[in-house]
Amino acid sequence: MAGLSVVEAEQTAVSAGAGLRVENVTHVFETGAESLMALNGVSLEVEAETFYGIVGPSGCGKSSLLLMMAGLLQPSEGRIAIGDETVSKPLPEDIGVVFQESSLLPWKTARENVEFPLYLRGVDRRVRERAALEMLELVGLGEFANRRPHELSGGMKQRVAIARGFCQNPDILLMDEPFAALDEQTRMTLGDELLHLWDRNKKTVVFVTHSLTEAVYLCDKVAVMSARPGEILDIVDIDLPRPRTYDMMATEKFGRLRARIWELIRRTQQK
Amino acid sequence: MKNAGRLLAQLAIVAAMFLFWEMAVRTGLANARIVPPPSEVLPRAITMLGDPVVLHNLWITSAQVMLAFVLVAPIGVAIGLLLGESDYFGRAFKPFFFFVASVPKSVFLPVFILAFGIGFTQKVAFGMFQAIFVLVISAIAAAESVSPDYLKMARAYGASRRQIYVDIYLPAMLPVIVEGLRLGMIFNITGVLFAEMYVSRAGLGHLVSTWGMSFQMVNLFAGILLAASLSIAVNELLRWYENRVGAWRG
Repeated sequence: MAGLSVVEAEQTAVSAGAGLRVENVTHVFETGAESLMALNGVSLEVEAETFYGIVGPSGCGKSSLLLMMAGLLQPSEGRIAIGDETVSKPLPEDIGVVFQESSLLPWKTARENVEFPLYLRGVDRRVRERAALEMLELVGLGEFANRRPHELSGGMKQRVAIARGFCQNPDILLMDEPFAALDEQTRMTLGDELLHLWDRNKKTVVFVTHSLTEAVYLCDKVAVMSARPGEILDIVDIDLPRPRTYDMMATEKFGRLRARIWELIRRTQQK
Repeated sequence: MKNAGRLLAQLAIVAAMFLFWEMAVRTGLANARIVPPPSEVLPRAITMLGDPVVLHNLWITSAQVMLAFVLVAPIGVAIGLLLGESDYFGRAFKPFFFFVASVPKSVFLPVFILAFGIGFTQKVAFGMFQAIFVLVISAIAAAESVSPDYLKMARAYGASRRQIYVDIYLPAMLPVIVEGLRLGMIFNITGVLFAEMYVSRAGLGHLVSTWGMSFQMVNLFAGILLAASLSIAVNELLRWYENRVGAWRG
């Protein structure tokens, strides 16, 4: 991607193709007199350039875990590290984050939203505009660059958010249920587009979702978490070939992998 | 084209209202001694704009309104933002503001007369008093309207404290604050005019009140028309600005 290289040159990434390590992370919410354990001894090894899924029942702390990876929340115990560096604050040059659609700034146009991370870093106006426009072209929104979020559909907004995550070309992209608010058809299309982008511009992706099909379809590995306090039940290898295609969903292997994840979650819900 | 058509329809409605008013007086549906027809009121309102006495009083009222607004707007907005943003101050003082805001402010006018006498200062103070509550309450709403999602996103992308204020808080709050300023202005004008009508020696409210009590109905209605035009003009100006900074609200 020619547009990204301009930005890339100004970056001082920790290391090319960084992975992410979660080491024995525990998180306790202090709410007045009570304390609530959200995560208990979670360890993950997210290797560089893998597409890593995290699934689990609502309230299992998967979103908290993602916030910690983003440096927005501190673990009560344990640590999260990129290479040797502990993530103790946001590292915008290494880590991009895609939240739910509400995180687009409504007073900015699609282009201004995409270039916002670059703007915050003081990247030259022309450089960041070009990078943003190219990113919008890639997600098929070139002609909507000057529209504001209220003029875009849910799917388009999420494309803008993904473009924003990719635009500054971080090594790691954290995605917190990015398609949760979308209808199933849009969600499938966007999943495909995301894989396509990722294929051309490999990053370490951590993808939190509660859709099992989505997790199996997109990911290389899926960490399955239990209900509160969140613990890692198992890490399922998704050994389906890439590129992924829709007809894989109808295969027995796909069904087995999906069933395995569901079985893990179902068992903890019964407890 | 669509806008032009709508504007035409709206003008037609205004024209129809004046026509109905005229007809009602001429046919005796309305008592002509109490309600003069617009064919007398409108020309009078226009001649008033060339009358030095009316202009002088209009100027006094405008000066009071503007001074009160310039003084009260920053105070009201600052208090509101403080209460909206600070947990501690918010919890301590917000209820107080909401309680007092629900009391009709006019009952306090005699207190203002005792404290400030009758005149410029008292009317400015009363205009400020009328306006401050709506300013504070809308500034609280503005501060609370800033979605935590925007802040989370900005922080994840490394925004500094200054960038969060300038690039998130300010644009997010601006439309709500301008809306509050507009409402504050309406209350402010109400306060100043009411103070002038209650007891005073100058101003548009004083003129209108005198004309009413001395049964000068054409003058009275022309004065009402002037006061209405003034308020509408100020309100529309602020509303135009509000729409401009809030176009993104869709």
